[in-house]
Amino acid sequence: MPARVAMPSRSRRVTLLAAFLTVAVSSLAFKIPFCQGLTGTRGPPPRASSLAREVGHYGRAHNGAHLSASQKAALEEIAEAIGTPGKGITATDEGPLTVGGRFEAVGVENTEENRRTYRQMLYTAKGANKYLSAAILDPETVFQKSDDGVPFPKVCSDLGIVPGVKPHLKIYSLPGTADGETVMQGLDSLAARCKEYREAGCRFAKWRSPLEVSEGEISRLCIEANMHDLARYALICQDEGLVPIVEPDISLKGDHDLETAVRVNVEVQSELYKAMIDHGVFMEGAVLKSNMVNPGKACKTAYTCEEIAQANVEVLQRCMPVSIRTANYLSGGQSLEDASARLNAINRHSGKKPWNLSFSWSAALQLPLLELCKGKGSLQLEEMEELYLKELAIASAAAKGEHSPAAGDGDHTPPP
Amino acid sequence: MSLAPVGLPNMLPADVLAELKETATKLCAPGKGFLAADESAGPWLRAGHAEAAKIPDVIENRAAYRAMCFSTPGLSEHISGVILHWETLLQDDAKGKPMVEIIKENGMIPGIKVDKGYNKKGMWGTPVGPLGHPEVATVGLDDLQQKCAQAYAKGARFAKWRNVLQLDPSKGMPTDLSIADTVHTLARYASICQSERLVPIVEPEIVPNGSHDINYCAEMTNKVLAAQFKALADHHIFLEGAVLKPNMVKNGLGGPKASAETIATLTCQTLLRTVPPSMPGIFFLSGETALNEDNEEEATINLSTMNRLFAGKLPWHLSFSYGKALQKTCIVTWLGKTENEAAAQKALKARANANSDAVFGKYKPGSCASVGTDGNVMQAAGPY
Repeated sequence: MPARVAMPSRSRRVTLLAAFLTVAVSSLAFKIPFCQGLTGTRGPPPRASSLAREVGHYGRAHNGAHLSASQKAALEEIAEAIGTPGKGITATDEGPLTVGGRFEAVGVENTEENRRTYRQMLYTAKGANKYLSAAILDPETVFQKSDDGVPFPKVCSDLGIVPGVKPHLKIYSLPGTADGETVMQGLDSLAARCKEYREAGCRFAKWRSPLEVSEGEISRLCIEANMHDLARYALICQDEGLVPIVEPDISLKGDHDLETAVRVNVEVQSELYKAMIDHGVFMEGAVLKSNMVNPGKACKTAYTCEEIAQANVEVLQRCMPVSIRTANYLSGGQSLEDASARLNAINRHSGKKPWNLSFSWSAALQLPLLELCKGKGSLQLEEMEELYLKELAIASAAAKGEHSPAAGDGDHTPPP
Repeated sequence: MSLAPVGLPNMLPADVLAELKETATKLCAPGKGFLAADESAGPWLRAGHAEAAKIPDVIENRAAYRAMCFSTPGLSEHISGVILHWETLLQDDAKGKPMVEIIKENGMIPGIKVDKGYNKKGMWGTPVGPLGHPEVATVGLDDLQQKCAQAYAKGARFAKWRNVLQLDPSKGMPTDLSIADTVHTLARYASICQSERLVPIVEPEIVPNGSHDINYCAEMTNKVLAAQFKALADHHIFLEGAVLKPNMVKNGLGGPKASAETIATLTCQTLLRTVPPSMPGIFFLSGETALNEDNEEEATINLSTMNRLFAGKLPWHLSFSYGKALQKTCIVTWLGKTENEAAAQKALKARANANSDAVFGKYKPGSCASVGTDGNVMQAAGPY
């Protein structure tokens, strides 16, 4: 039975309208910094929407030809803001059950109020907006408010943090395939939900397609099904004025080596970009959130952080279009130390990297914060805020290639 | 820190990859491009000039013309590679000196055209396009492995293969069939070349014939290039050791004329959406132009506009691989006469210099002498 999307009550809709008007006015004052050139590489291309007029009149979707120039300009502006050099994304989009799991593991009660105050801290931590370009919210949080009664999307955008949403999605297994080969459900009602989220102040969406390597492969069926869904999701989002973050997430699970990881990542990403182009997605108004290229967790070969960084740069160089201006890596089970060391090494790599390469982290940032609550029975918001800011400073430094990791951070050490 | 290339399965030995990368790097030297000298018949026949077309198309004339071009003093300041026809690869000049040696001694790298053209009967069931025939498939894969090995032994270090696509929005051209065939064939060719240490120039040319506008060309070029790079990825092509030779995004010859800025912008946007940064260079073909257009000037101005508008924003060398757009004035200066050789060489060097300036985005329109549109005749489009 497919999960139902919660529809806001009548009074809530009135509040939403008020919120929308406020957000609409305040978004006009949104300062969008222009992405300058990055260390050792060239800067992003000039804005596609401000260049030659593209008249789409062939009845097919072509790089957003069905969108007006102003719609495209708006999408590009948001994508640029998300890709601000030195900043990254705080991913706070876990649903209530998943957050509940994390809370219960450290003895915190899973209540709506706890989820609200916890997320509030993640957005409003003093100085966090120096390091954050955007935040991904889950639908519950989109309709929650701060202590001052301000809806969270507005709280974020007032701080210069672009608010986005992960629309409700559900996994199902692809029959007849290896374990872990799944597809996401949620396209059917996506347009209607995007409208709702946009009205509530969100400016981008995120859709995650988890993938698992099994015996050195992900099946063609699984890759095609997931990447084509990501492309269609992206097309629908853009039509509703939301920048799509596309997230092909190849899990760390397995014992495949780094070379296999490179091959599989190139296969998956090549399929993704081709699908996006074929669907007519406006590439300049889309963002990538992929896994970092890593050997499987159980891989028996050791790799240095630099070798891992090289693999990451190579994969992007081999298939990522320059028009997608930013890739914000997910952490996916990597510790903050490893993820930061690797992001840092990637940004210091001397090869061609004509994109912004940054972070979009949830577990890496949040799990250490939740550890602080162990044995206390409740959220330790002040302590968590302090640690959170330290973590964000590290993430931001890594995004600029200015971090100094400890020796061994980011290396892959084979399990005993 | 220099690490071995990671994760190229079923791949070539490291020393082959290293050689391909080295050759590609030399081909993409700053400011330099290719002289496409691989015309099947005398180049003067396709220069679109009435007087030149009268020069007899015999092997002695082809040898004399090409030897003159390749030995042009200082040409290597602007030309990194010369693409040859098979005849020329095996040819000596009038004094018995191999053409390949003339090229190498003049500081350039010899390359070889290895495709065998196409039959105009085309692929059954495809629509007839503006060229007057159905969609075509370029042939030559069967003995390509041996030919590549032979060419390498003769001194060639890169190769070229051209597929042709036609545009007609009313007929849905290019059809998906023709795109699939094109990208697959070019990927197979590239794979074989690389195994024989030849850097492949991948050329999926969309010809400008037709009355469509520039936006249709942009859409189709986008579609074709996206498919091409997916195919190259699927065939495990080492992009660092390959280069692209695409058409510029332009209006159809009979369509509404787009400005140089629009051509430059739409072309670069398309490339930025489809060409991964690991490919070191993109070398445009010049292609047909309308009778009232100066083929040489247009090609240089368009390239210069691109490099000017997108300076610092492009992760690849953006250059030229011109045939008639480099040679027209040279041919018309030569007109088959030995006494005109020095002047003809100067004309060739001047236009090559102009295109070098264009690679740096600094060409001043009109600053390079050109024979212009004088005597332009309708060129028979086809295998080149």
